[in-house]
Amino acid sequence: MLNGLVTTVREGARYKGESNQWMWIAHRISGLGVLLFLVTHISGMSFSYFNPKVHEALIEIYKTPLFSVGELFLAACLVFHAINGTRIALLELKPEWWSEQHKATRASLLITFVLGAPTLVIMAWKSLSFYLATGR
Amino acid sequence: MKLHLKIKRFNPEIDKKPYWGEYDIEVDEMDRVLDALQEVKWTVDGTLALRRSCAHGICGSDAMRINGRNRLACKCLIKDEIKNGQITVEPILGLKVQKDMIVDMEPFFAHYRSVLPFLVNKDPLPENGRERLQTIADRERFDDTTKCILCACCTTSCPSFWARGEYVGPAAIVQAHRFIFDSRDQAAQERLEVLSEVDGVWRCRTVFNCTDACPRGIEVTKAIGEVKAALRTGIIA
Ligand code: FES
Repeated sequence: MLNGLVTTVREGARYKGESNQWMWIAHRISGLGVLLFLVTHISGMSFSYFNPKVHEALIEIYKTPLFSVGELFLAACLVFHAINGTRIALLELKPEWWSEQHKATRASLLITFVLGAPTLVIMAWKSLSFYLATGR
Repeated sequence: MKLHLKIKRFNPEIDKKPYWGEYDIEVDEMDRVLDALQEVKWTVDGTLALRRSCAHGICGSDAMRINGRNRLACKCLIKDEIKNGQITVEPILGLKVQKDMIVDMEPFFAHYRSVLPFLVNKDPLPENGRERLQTIADRERFDDTTKCILCACCTTSCPSFWARGEYVGPAAIVQAHRFIFDSRDQAAQERLEVLSEVDGVWRCRTVFNCTDACPRGIEVTKAIGEVKAALRTGIIA
C-alpha cells in the first residue's frame, strides 16, 4: 500500500504518459479540494444547531483573506472537477470515442476556463471590495 | 553516431538503492535501443541484466521505460528516441526489480490467470471433429485484443496499478475481453464476476497511458470501456 503510494508519487510524476495522466492528477487534487471543503462546510454548519456561538465565530473566520483565497481555489476545483468528470464519464459511456481523447481533454480545459475565469474574477472582485470597504 | 546511454542499475544483492549507469557507445541511428543495451552488455559491462528473446516485438520480454515511457526496446529505433545524444532506460514500474531491467513478472501473470485466459466451451465438439466455427464478423469483434503479447507495457504504465498492485490491470482485462466477446466462449459471466470485484475494471480511471504504451497498438482503454459497458448493461455485444 505505502509502496504503491511512493511509486505513484515519486516515479509516476516522472512517467511521460498521455496528457490525460496530468488530467488524472489534477482531477485527484481538485477532488481532494472539494472533499476538504465539504468536510469544513458540513462540520461548520452543524455548529449552527449544536452551538450557534461557535458557528458565528466560524463565519467571522471565513471572512479573512486566507479563506477568501481558499474559496477561489475551491471554485476552480469545483468547475474543473465537474467538467473533467463529465469528460471521463462520457468516454466511459462511449468507449468508441477513445480516439477523440485529446480533443476531449482540450475541450474540457476550454470549458473549465470559460466557466471558471469569470466566476473567479467576480468572486475575487467581491472579496476585494469587501476588504477595501471594511478596511480589514 | 555516438550515444550516451543512461541505464537505471540495481542489484538488490549488493546495491542499497538504484543508481544511474552511464555508458558512451558507438551506434548506428537505425539500430534499436535493444542493440545499444546489448552493445553495453557484450562489450562494456557484462553484469547488465535484461530480458529479451525474439528481438522482433513478438515475445514481449523486453518491456522497459525508454525516455520515461513504456516501450519494447526491440521496437524502438535509436534515431526516434535519441535526444541531445542521450537515451534513458529504466525498468517498468509497479513490479519488484530483481536486477536492472528484470522485474518480477509473477504478480502480473497471476492477474492474467485470474481472468481465465482460455476458451471455455462445454458443448461437445462438432460432428466432423473439427474446429468450432464462427462468422467473420464474430471473429472481427475481438480481433484487436488477440494481438496482446503480455509484455506488461500497459499494466505498468497505469497509475491505478502503481498505486495498488492488486488491481488486475489493463493486460488482464484485454485478455478477458478477448474471450468475453468470443462467440464460441461460454465463461463470460465468470470473467465478468472477477472483473466486477473491487480490484477489477472499476479501478481503471480512463487515463489512457495503457493505450499509448501498447507496442501492438491495441485500443486498450476502449477494450476496458467495453468490458465496463458489458458489466453496466449486462449485454455482451
Ligand atoms: S525481445 Fe521479444 S518482444 Fe522484444
